[in-house]
Amino acid sequence: MPTLDVSYRDLCNLIGTRIGEEELKNRAIMFAKGEIDEIDGDELKIDEKDTNRPDLWSTEGIAREIAGRYGKEGLPEYKTEASGLVVKVHESVKDVRPLTVCAVVRNLTITEDVLIQIIQLQEKVAGTYGKNRKDVAIGIYDYNKIKGQIHYKGYKPDELSFVPLEFDRELKLSEILKEHPKGKEFGHLLEGKDRYPVFIDDAGNVLSMPPIINSNYTGKVTDNTTDVFIECSGFDIDVLMPALNVIVCALADRGGKIETVDVVYGDKTIKTPDLAPKSIVVRKDYMKQITGLDLDDKEMEKLLKQARYNIAESTKTEIKVEYPAYRQDIMHERDVIEDMLISLGYNEIEPEPVKMITKGALQPMHIFSNKIAEVMIGLGMQEILSYTLTNKENLFTKMETKEKDVCELENPVSANWSVFRNALLAGILEFFSKNKHHELPQKIFEIGNVIIPDDSAETAYRDVQKLACGITATRVTYEEISSVLDAFMRTLDIPYKLRTKDNPSFIKGRCAEILIDGKSAGFVGEIHPQVLNNWDIENPVIAFEIDIDLVFQNKYSKNR
Amino acid sequence: MYQLTDEGKKYLKEGFPEKRLVLAIKDELGINDARKAIDDFNIGLMWAKKNGWVKIEKGKIIPISKPEETDYEKALEMILEGKEPDGEMTALLLKRKLIVEQKSTAFDAAQKLIGKAVTALSPELIKTGLWKEVKIKPYNVEAVGKRIYPGKRQPYAAFINEIKNKLLELGFVEMTGPTIEMEFWNFDALYQPQNHPSRSWTETYNIKGDKKGKLPQKIIVEQVKAAHENGGGTGSTGWRYKWSAEKAAKLMPRAHDTAISPRYLSKGVKVPDKYFSLVRCYRPDVIDATHGVEFNQCGGFIIDESLSFRNLLGVLKDFVMDVTGAEDVRFYPDYYPFTEPSVQISAKHPELGWVELAGAGVFRPELTEPLGVTQPVIAWGFGIDRLAMYKLGIKDIRYLFSDDIKWLREKTVM
Repeated sequence: MPTLDVSYRDLCNLIGTRIGEEELKNRAIMFAKGEIDEIDGDELKIDEKDTNRPDLWSTEGIAREIAGRYGKEGLPEYKTEASGLVVKVHESVKDVRPLTVCAVVRNLTITEDVLIQIIQLQEKVAGTYGKNRKDVAIGIYDYNKIKGQIHYKGYKPDELSFVPLEFDRELKLSEILKEHPKGKEFGHLLEGKDRYPVFIDDAGNVLSMPPIINSNYTGKVTDNTTDVFIECSGFDIDVLMPALNVIVCALADRGGKIETVDVVYGDKTIKTPDLAPKSIVVRKDYMKQITGLDLDDKEMEKLLKQARYNIAESTKTEIKVEYPAYRQDIMHERDVIEDMLISLGYNEIEPEPVKMITKGALQPMHIFSNKIAEVMIGLGMQEILSYTLTNKENLFTKMETKEKDVCELENPVSANWSVFRNALLAGILEFFSKNKHHELPQKIFEIGNVIIPDDSAETAYRDVQKLACGITATRVTYEEISSVLDAFMRTLDIPYKLRTKDNPSFIKGRCAEILIDGKSAGFVGEIHPQVLNNWDIENPVIAFEIDIDLVFQNKYSKNR
Repeated sequence: MYQLTDEGKKYLKEGFPEKRLVLAIKDELGINDARKAIDDFNIGLMWAKKNGWVKIEKGKIIPISKPEETDYEKALEMILEGKEPDGEMTALLLKRKLIVEQKSTAFDAAQKLIGKAVTALSPELIKTGLWKEVKIKPYNVEAVGKRIYPGKRQPYAAFINEIKNKLLELGFVEMTGPTIEMEFWNFDALYQPQNHPSRSWTETYNIKGDKKGKLPQKIIVEQVKAAHENGGGTGSTGWRYKWSAEKAAKLMPRAHDTAISPRYLSKGVKVPDKYFSLVRCYRPDVIDATHGVEFNQCGGFIIDESLSFRNLLGVLKDFVMDVTGAEDVRFYPDYYPFTEPSVQISAKHPELGWVELAGAGVFRPELTEPLGVTQPVIAWGFGIDRLAMYKLGIKDIRYLFSDDIKWLREKTVM
């Protein structure tokens, strides 16, 4: 979610009317899908909710959207004239960064504040919409320093040098990647390429090396600049065009005059930017169905115009609207319907309760888990909840067991939480290790999911519900824990058997396998002192762990 | 100390059966007649024979000698008086179950307490009624008892139960799904494009290794693919890119509860109906006071032919006020790739002020139609951890999964 720094005064000037703080916060900002995060005098911090509307990521864009509800209805108009400028795209960029779309904007008054806004928009569009310059990189240049045509051309890494922005000496293209901060930050986008893309004019002055850095000469826009050349480079025209439109329309909102550029691809020339409005048809009954509002044509049209649409045609059943070229988010008539509802104001719409009567139901396993918890609590146990993510050291090394195949994260945030637990027992011991200075005895249990690899499962891993119970005290006996287990099983009416079985986490001769229907369902016993040492636990521990899915199946199977 | 058994008391009163038997015989007596003549015939006959007083011939009992004087009666009388006969006799009486050892130490002790003040009321005092003769000491009943800890639900688990029960009351059916999910259900089926920033490795966990999930039936996959690429038959332009089935089959831990909804929608749900899920979700957040290792999300949907955005607002308002105890709600425009229109709900809490609570919207047709659903579906998702923190009075989200037994023991129930 982009967060924007906006000047209150600037915003109101662009809207064309002064809007009070309360009005702005509780109503106006919502028209632009924003939320005021902070107000500090003239400084506003605005959270823009829509991550698919780069046209709203600037003061100009927010003002334009709000203005529709404060008098400036209908499609914002942007006229263009031909600049005569030609950008020639050479074959040599084809395998690096093949496409560009460009524009010229003249007659700007760029104050320092405006410059900050331009840079903010450029960063948000290239950063968020352009995926950190991968899909879209944007360059803005002093147009009056450009001589003749512009060439978008690939150069070998050591073939060309220029002075990058904020530097005072020439660097080779390859050196820029190594030495310039932006080169270090974005150099990976050119990794493995034998040519780097460059904008260069007829006079041989470099404009920039996208998507890395502008030159310090043409690529430096200051408060003396009045005319700018803008280019967006990337891989997909449909992605680049809206980005360019967003930038030029924002500049035009500040009084700039937009001019087109001829971008030449071999024998094909495209004229950019293309600001011709686009259109979509919305069915009126569908609009009524989705909104739940019985609006007449006039109301509908008014709301749409306030959302900066033009009504191109309105029939009995349909309405054809035109929308601005900077909107790349409109895919379906639903998108138009939402804009209409936003115009109306969500809080102006009377909520209508759903009256349908349905029968609720909880998952049988949830209900069963509650029964289990009830029994365990009756046995004096405190329930705990732990994370399903843990690490191999906890699961295997500290438990003195052999490593098993477990579900592992490829990109963990921390090695501590890098694999999914395949059992609960380690969590019980971890809990005791963290509470060794608290009063004994400690009696705890956990009911939770573990993840088991299972190639036959739909997602190659399976959730299994388990119950683990542990007791620590200065003196414990095996009988105590087997009594708890027995009480648990008898209360749930589950026939079971215990069979001696060695388990490296338990003392030899003090561990049994729990069998239900002859199937291994878990184990019960006294924890091995080596395991206690590994966890830095100073008192003996007895514990059991049991597969609740098996218990559930046994309890509710018809063949019992 | 010994005391007489009921049998011992009877023998003392009526005489021993072997004596009574011999006295009942003049010359000889048929066994059947003798059986009628005295009680305890079998015992009497056995001991009379053993003592050599009688013999049996042709079904008749014939006396051999006169009964000798025995010390039995005397011994029984001694015991009744609280004295003890010699060891041999005692053993004999014990063997004949005429006397039993009397555990009278407690009784005696109780007797010794008469007139005194006691701390503990004992079974003997109660049984003998001697409690009437003692003074039961008063305690300092105003002193608080020694601290003990009951077994309890984990507070967050209890909270989750409460939320689920609330949803049950509101007529919602609980859904569930696998923790390890496919990108298909987590993203693609929700119309989230494959190059969406939230699908990058900084926003979503991936599972190590090259295991893949099994995509659902071909028709669903084809329709989802078409919706992404060109809108399919939904009237949408789609996201306009080349959709990859291979990416969709990649595994990840569920990143939001909404991953479960398309699974149910594609299987065919009852119309109208209400569904919810409340499950553990995973995102690679840096862990701090407001971001846990894992988190729970609660979400759901309502499906019906007649549902509208106004209904969505109605459901949200009722639901949020009901579940959170909020006084008022406000709606904000919002954005989710899978809903349009989308809305965010903030609730005015009596103590916290305005709190952002839930996101919601009408599922996009590009989501529902490829899954075979033609009715409007209104969907909502709730970050319940924040609400849990408030309800449990904690400032650090990590306490939801507290590993501090002191806190768990002392946490009061909601």
